[in-house]
Amino acid sequence: MLRLAHVTKRFGATLAVDDVSLDIGPGEIVGLVGENGAGKTTLMRMAAGEIATDSGTIDVEGTVELVHQHFMLVGDFTIAENLALWGVTSESPLPDPSRKVNDLSVGEKANLELAKAIGRNPRLLILDEPTSVLTPVETDELFRVMREIASRGTAVVFISHKLPEVLAIAQRIVVMRRGKIVALTTAAEMTAAQLAEAMMGTMPSGAPAVSAGDARRGRRALHLSSLTGARIDHVTLTVHQNEIVAIVGVAGNGQDELAAMLRGLVKPKSGAIEISGSVGHIPPDRTRDGLVAQMTIAENMALPSPRWSRAAAIRHAAQLIELYSIRARGPLQRAGGLSGGNQQKVILARELDRRPEVLVASEPTRGLDIESTRFVHAQLRAAAAAGAAVLVITSDLDEAFALAHAIQVIYRGRLSERMSAGEAASRVGGLMAGVA
Amino acid sequence: MTRFAIAVGAAVFAVVLLAIVAAMFGHDPRQLLAILIEGSVGSPFAIQGTIKKSVPLLLTGLSVVIAFRAGVWNIGGEGQFITGALAAFLAAPMGWMASLLAAAIAGAAWASIASLMRFWRGAPEVLTTILLNFTALHLLGYAVNGPLQERGAQYPQTDSVPGGAWLGTIESTDLHHGAIIALAMAIAAWWLLYRTREGLRLRATGFNPSASAWAGIRVNAQIARAMAFSGALAGLAGGIELLGVTHRLFERFAAGYGYSGIAVALLAQLHPIGTAASALFFGALVTGAGELQRSAGISSSVAVFGQAVVILTLIVFGSFRRND
Repeated sequence: MLRLAHVTKRFGATLAVDDVSLDIGPGEIVGLVGENGAGKTTLMRMAAGEIATDSGTIDVEGTVELVHQHFMLVGDFTIAENLALWGVTSESPLPDPSRKVNDLSVGEKANLELAKAIGRNPRLLILDEPTSVLTPVETDELFRVMREIASRGTAVVFISHKLPEVLAIAQRIVVMRRGKIVALTTAAEMTAAQLAEAMMGTMPSGAPAVSAGDARRGRRALHLSSLTGARIDHVTLTVHQNEIVAIVGVAGNGQDELAAMLRGLVKPKSGAIEISGSVGHIPPDRTRDGLVAQMTIAENMALPSPRWSRAAAIRHAAQLIELYSIRARGPLQRAGGLSGGNQQKVILARELDRRPEVLVASEPTRGLDIESTRFVHAQLRAAAAAGAAVLVITSDLDEAFALAHAIQVIYRGRLSERMSAGEAASRVGGLMAGVA
Repeated sequence: MTRFAIAVGAAVFAVVLLAIVAAMFGHDPRQLLAILIEGSVGSPFAIQGTIKKSVPLLLTGLSVVIAFRAGVWNIGGEGQFITGALAAFLAAPMGWMASLLAAAIAGAAWASIASLMRFWRGAPEVLTTILLNFTALHLLGYAVNGPLQERGAQYPQTDSVPGGAWLGTIESTDLHHGAIIALAMAIAAWWLLYRTREGLRLRATGFNPSASAWAGIRVNAQIARAMAFSGALAGLAGGIELLGVTHRLFERFAAGYGYSGIAVALLAQLHPIGTAASALFFGALVTGAGELQRSAGISSSVAVFGQAVVILTLIVFGSFRRND
């Protein structure tokens, strides 16, 4: 049906899919799970022929249809016109096909998108996060349709973040992490908690890398009380000097809003943020929010400073490049030309150089190679040792266990109680999957 | 250097295309080019004419450079030019300095209306600034036909501004002092963009507003200030044109200088010093085209044609990038 052998894909310096092999048979429903950037969508776009592989082979029998996360519908056309545009002659799945797509509910649009794909009789149907916009009733209906087309011999790949759903529908589950398949099991063998752990990192086998006793805790430096916004719900949290606290969770549970609120870019609906002293920030989306790609390293490093002189900025940047072993041609190189790891080092150098009392680091090592990851971790530990209160917001469990003195899990905008790494080891999987 | 080459290439291409079109209409392109050059840089008189035309172009060009560098599409140079001139006219009895100051403030205020609409209701400044151009144009039309019309009410124009407010001329030329002010503004704009923290943050905001916000820049305030700077320069251009050249207001006073500033800035690749060179090129084109009309009977709108060719060439060859 679909046979992937040693498929690899790079985007610039990032290895999006790394030597993946996978077989899918007719009539099978396969759940494909993994964090953002794990390579799920890239892999499936290659299977559907939307993008080329760098190496490896893909054999497909028959046609493949990929239903994207974002709707690909013409809003000003009617339901019937949209189906016709895709060459689908089968009956409309929705009543009154003369309605315009703009007037449909989100669930109806999703339904139409699905009908578009099924109408072309694919042998393999790939659904990318189809339930993210659906109500529970609509999701049940989608699952009914999926089972029906699978019973007719079409293989279905279901990409999702929502672990209970994957467990409910899929016969086989493929877990991807950092471009590789890290687990491949039947649904019956796995619990949601185990799935979450596989997605986000291996559980520590022995003692945690950092124990709660390690921190010579100083005074309270960051305190959130009942912070509430559109996607976070009564978040209460304290970070002391010399301490690293990690918030872990599957992406999309409110982490980005929390980070933006701490930066002052989003106003909380209620609750308060108390910070003593200055704050450094490492933004979650490095390419969009981290650096100004068109400007030089020196200029980027100087952006937050209260004063600016070109000559001093260049001298200072040269020192930081040396200190943080940034691989660059010099302070006047454009930031956009650096690799992801070196861009992150530039941000880290800029934020840590101000010796902030509080550091908020969101996904500080997402997409970085092992060497850069180690470097970033060492810098975060050093900052804490020097007295900073460090809050790490991450979807990488390994990272949380490697760094944090205390761990709190975020799920649907709510924060679990504070746990030591030892306590967290047994509970974190369930909390992240929302089953504990 | 490639950016420089692209800019020069676009300018040369515009002139060559003009020559080809002239040939298609049965004129001798060599003769026309000779007139164009002779009429713009062929004599001290012609050169002074070119510089005089370049002064408002340089200032409106700088206005566009500042706005576009901050990522805000101020197409409202024409309206800011007019409101600047109106304010300069009203303040002229207090002398040229007060008059030019009023021009800059009025231009900044007019541009800031677009900022307010952007922040309050999310109205795109590309639209609001263009619409404010028409508003200013009709305001001027009303003024010169109504409250500010000359004594005797013969023509739709104002009286001349008091002689004391006229800009003096540079010794042994008939070039007004506005030329010096404009050049100083080009240097000041360069200094602002590349040597001050304000300029650093302005450029960062233009390139990547969300990374700028994460770095602690208050993006909306930054954009509002850039828009005000930009409007002040266009307003100043209007004031200088009034006190240095026309000395009175009339309906077609702006003569497209605001819009031409966009071409000037784009040809200069949004660089303030390049803008001086680019303004001279367009100034020469306008002056030479005037000579073409007088001696060869070819409409001086060929200058506008030249501008359009330059803009299109720059857009097509992809040099209209905002990276420095």
